[in-house]
Amino acid sequence: MIRLVRAEWTKLFTTRVWLGLLLGACAMAGGFAALFTGFAGRTGNNGQALPDVGTSAYEQAAFAVSANATVLLLILGIIGMTQEYRHRTATPTFLVTPRRGRVVVAKLLAYALAAVPIGLLVIATNVLVVEIYAGARGAAPSLTGDNLRVLAGAWAALVIYAVIGVGIGALLRNQVGAIVGALVYLFVVEGIVIRAIPAIAPLFKWLPGGALQAMTATLDATDLLDPWQGALLLIGYGLVAAVLGTLFAVRRDIT
Amino acid sequence: MSTPSAREPVRVEVRGLSKSFGAVRAVSDLGFTVEPGSVTGFLGPNGAGKTTTLRMVLGLERPDAGTATFNGAPYASLPEPARTVGAVLETAFHPARSGRNHLRVYCRAAGLPLSRADEVLTEVGLAEAGRRRAGGYSLGMRQRLALATALLGDPPVLVLDEPANGLDPEGIQWLRGFLRHLAHEQGRTVLVSSHLLAEVEQTVDRVVIVGAGRLVREASIEQLRSGADGAGTVLVRSPDADRLADVLRAGGSTVTQVDDGALTVAGSTPADVGRRAFAAGIELHELRSHTSGLEEIYFELTAGREQFAAHSPAATTDPGAAR
Repeated sequence: MIRLVRAEWTKLFTTRVWLGLLLGACAMAGGFAALFTGFAGRTGNNGQALPDVGTSAYEQAAFAVSANATVLLLILGIIGMTQEYRHRTATPTFLVTPRRGRVVVAKLLAYALAAVPIGLLVIATNVLVVEIYAGARGAAPSLTGDNLRVLAGAWAALVIYAVIGVGIGALLRNQVGAIVGALVYLFVVEGIVIRAIPAIAPLFKWLPGGALQAMTATLDATDLLDPWQGALLLIGYGLVAAVLGTLFAVRRDIT
Repeated sequence: MSTPSAREPVRVEVRGLSKSFGAVRAVSDLGFTVEPGSVTGFLGPNGAGKTTTLRMVLGLERPDAGTATFNGAPYASLPEPARTVGAVLETAFHPARSGRNHLRVYCRAAGLPLSRADEVLTEVGLAEAGRRRAGGYSLGMRQRLALATALLGDPPVLVLDEPANGLDPEGIQWLRGFLRHLAHEQGRTVLVSSHLLAEVEQTVDRVVIVGAGRLVREASIEQLRSGADGAGTVLVRSPDADRLADVLRAGGSTVTQVDDGALTVAGSTPADVGRRAFAAGIELHELRSHTSGLEEIYFELTAGREQFAAHSPAATTDPGAAR
């Protein structure tokens, strides 16, 4: 299994996809952190004031923005799995490892482990921007207590979303379909539709987006699971997708 | 590269293999054997089920029935498949990855030293291009990269699906020599598919001919040649065919009447037939030696067995035109 995981890393780091997504994720985390800090304490159009620099509400929310970059790690995982079909390398891959479930397990492990340092760089960018900008505005947040918990949650979420991406890729096989489907689900289905319908809104906390919010404190944190519950739920979603994908999609004929 | 004696001979046995895609029967109860130390040509027209068969042999597609084994073991239960079987199927690589890195991925996965990547690149003549993106490779270079991938584990068995596709004449020449070298000097089992007999005629020792997913003929190339109608015969056409036939028979030749004035003459040469016709004062309209006959028998064996046979009257009466 170790050699299969290393083979996956060789695949990952011999094209530039990971670099593009890493830079994108860092830019996203840094950009959101800057926006959030810039508007801290201002009053929005709806008359609600954003928490000001120096408050714990601001600090936790500013450290949670990295969680927005989970979508890019999701895409990293999806590409990692679906590129085998897109570029037809599934043929040599499954020739070397005819027991295809082992390939899926190797990818889950390889992307989880690769996402640890990638996620750390994203978190580091987030922290750097917040410390400098909020510091310039008078109150650099401390890296202790709840702030640290939020950062750890965001880091873990980044790693788990890469795993979910591999699982979705195994299930759907089609790269463009999997990416578009995942984005539409996260931003349209979960982000708008479910929360807009009161009858099913309570379901939100059990869904991937709700579980993600549970892992990091946010402004509108209301009815959510505990962070560890959210993490377990997300890992569960990723593994269920991977198992279903292995059973029903990956074992299909490679033609 | 290990010595031939160190490599265990592996026999590939296909028994009762069947596969349908919906209502289309791609492969029906197909069975044949591929012997070590020889090159076996897997021949048939396009759509005869060659690729589907090879992919089932390699565990990439699941047969509806039947088995394919390597010294008794199916592909999926080989302990180190890359060290037993090398396969060249459609060229598959990530366009942004260099040829060398592509090979290193499979070195890692198969537990081989990374140095094997450079060794096989040299073996197939790609050492120079190894560090370039594979997406920029020519068709011939892609085939060579696919062959290099197959050779990584130094396997006793090689399975190649239409490896000559995209190769220039020089590349085809090189491939022929390379396959013969792999089988005859290194004792490997080589199975190579093609839809053109002429392409592999000089390379293969044995042939397995399929049509419409069924076995048509399994034989050595000599057996096929000796069984070919018209091999080593002369075709002669004359307005006075009956008299010519008598003259030739009187000279001890076996003569067969073909049609409107054409005869085939066995045990003779065009010069001999021409001389005897001239001596008897018989007018000739055509005089030529038959081709090797392999192409004809291949065509006869597979005629009308294409999955999507087009109606072409010329093709059935004049096999030579198909070339």
